[in-house]
Amino acid sequence: MFFPTSLSRGAGFGAVVGVALMLSVFTVIDFGGWWTVQTVTNVLHFASILGLIAMGQALVIMSKEIDLSVGSVYGLAGVAFITLQPDLGVPGAIVAALLISALIGFLQAMAVLKGALPSMIVTLGGLFTVRGIIYVWTGGSVRAFPEEARSHWITRMLGGEFLGLEASLFWLLVLLAILSVLLWRTKFGNHLLAAGGDLDSAKSQGVQTDRTKTIAFVTCSLLAGFAGIVTLADRPQTHVTLGELLELEAIAAAVIGGCLLSGGRGSLLGAVLGALIVVSFRYELIALGAPSSWFMTFVGIVLIVAVIFNQKLARAAGHSL
Amino acid sequence: MNKQTPLIQIKNLDLHFGAFHALKNVSVDFHAGELVGLVGDNGAGKTTLIRVLCGIHTPSAGEVYFDGTRVKTFHPKLAIDQGIETIQQSVGLCDNLSIARNFYLGREPVKRFCGLPLLDFAKMREMSGRVIRQFGLRENVSVDDEVERLSGGERQSVKIGRAVEFKNRVVIMDEPTNHLSVREREHVNELALQLRDQGLLVIYITHDIFQVHRLADRIVIMENGEKIEDASTETMSAEALEEVIRQGGRIVEKRDAV
Repeated sequence: MFFPTSLSRGAGFGAVVGVALMLSVFTVIDFGGWWTVQTVTNVLHFASILGLIAMGQALVIMSKEIDLSVGSVYGLAGVAFITLQPDLGVPGAIVAALLISALIGFLQAMAVLKGALPSMIVTLGGLFTVRGIIYVWTGGSVRAFPEEARSHWITRMLGGEFLGLEASLFWLLVLLAILSVLLWRTKFGNHLLAAGGDLDSAKSQGVQTDRTKTIAFVTCSLLAGFAGIVTLADRPQTHVTLGELLELEAIAAAVIGGCLLSGGRGSLLGAVLGALIVVSFRYELIALGAPSSWFMTFVGIVLIVAVIFNQKLARAAGHSL
Repeated sequence: MNKQTPLIQIKNLDLHFGAFHALKNVSVDFHAGELVGLVGDNGAGKTTLIRVLCGIHTPSAGEVYFDGTRVKTFHPKLAIDQGIETIQQSVGLCDNLSIARNFYLGREPVKRFCGLPLLDFAKMREMSGRVIRQFGLRENVSVDDEVERLSGGERQSVKIGRAVEFKNRVVIMDEPTNHLSVREREHVNELALQLRDQGLLVIYITHDIFQVHRLADRIVIMENGEKIEDASTETMSAEALEEVIRQGGRIVEKRDAV
């Protein structure tokens, strides 16, 4: 029910077309290089991680806010997971890393909602503050897991393969299903879309918009933190730049996936497919031997094309932006 | 009718927005089963007064009683829970949501599915569909359509239908017939009377004293944040009330002086 609903609303449909188009082009120009187990596995793994973050970003964007701190939260959760593991064990370190992420989301939400500040500024502050904490905490050094933590069953469940899938892909699909039900089929989802679409109208009907938006911010930070944990469970080594610029890729993925920055409209499936597009472009450009610096340019072009396309789509569906 | 305890009693209400004194010592009673016209020019304080009643603004001073109990906390959710529904000009419907989702916004029915409280779409569609047809929405409008596609009159119909459906005690209509065709306007006005006859308190805000005079039991006139007139429609004609508005309350002082 929720996929047809979101597709018929137009949001997310553009990303489906985009993925189909992209895969067709890659198949034509680089069939042998693209359709290998190695490439597909890697692309799916990194797209899943970016997809987790992009889903959180999509929720926040749909509530008409933005979260620029997700890259730093992703990095800090990863650092916390690795650094706290010797003292707390693997499960304890995961819980602690998620709590830290949730706390950052909550504090930012309070500043935005109670302080009536623009979320772009608050979370930009969050981006720098949290990155600073990473530098101070690690002292700039690289940290890694000892062997027994690498082979812990939880680490393997998060980072290795699970039921024959890349574990990250499994988690992405599970969370996509849960969050889609939450967004399209629950009271909370209706309140989130209402708060993003028309804040005053939502308030006039008794919707507790501050609480709704706080949940969106906390969920977004939790997903970014979880993505950091999944990344390090797979390759357990931290560095201070972990997750830098990831916030921009996550926003790009959400926007390519049909989330409108004007709030109230978007698609979680679209955000995930947007992440797939961003990651696939990076891989294919490297595979084709283009200098890696071209990646940014291509993401930029894809973003602009996607926004134009989504806007036309929204107009055709009778929506204004 | 007016001897019973007022459903809403406002005593010496003051409201400041920073240096701006929006409501000045307003005292007024509203009774169940009464249709009160609240009239005044733009900026007279009508909407501000209503926003206190529906919990959006907290008064700076003064008291509000609902059904004999003093209201201490002002919050839209509390007002709705007490049965105060407001139909406002530009607020109340989210363009990005379907009619069914808007109809139940803040009061969504849920059905347990594997223990999870999921939205009961079947009920939302059926109930909102029945109500919007009753209020004359086009046959080709579906309850799954986004509100953005509706005309101004249809939006108003959805809001009024919602207010009727949820069996409220107070329905506040803020310029309910703006953007409506003549026929739709008659329909809305009939509805206001119907609500009153069912024993509800209806507060009808408008610029148009002649329109509301035909409907209302009582007219309250506001000017510059003050109540300047509060008269039964039986004792004062629409023309006399219009004169009060035109004079901006000065006629009242003159009358007192005489």
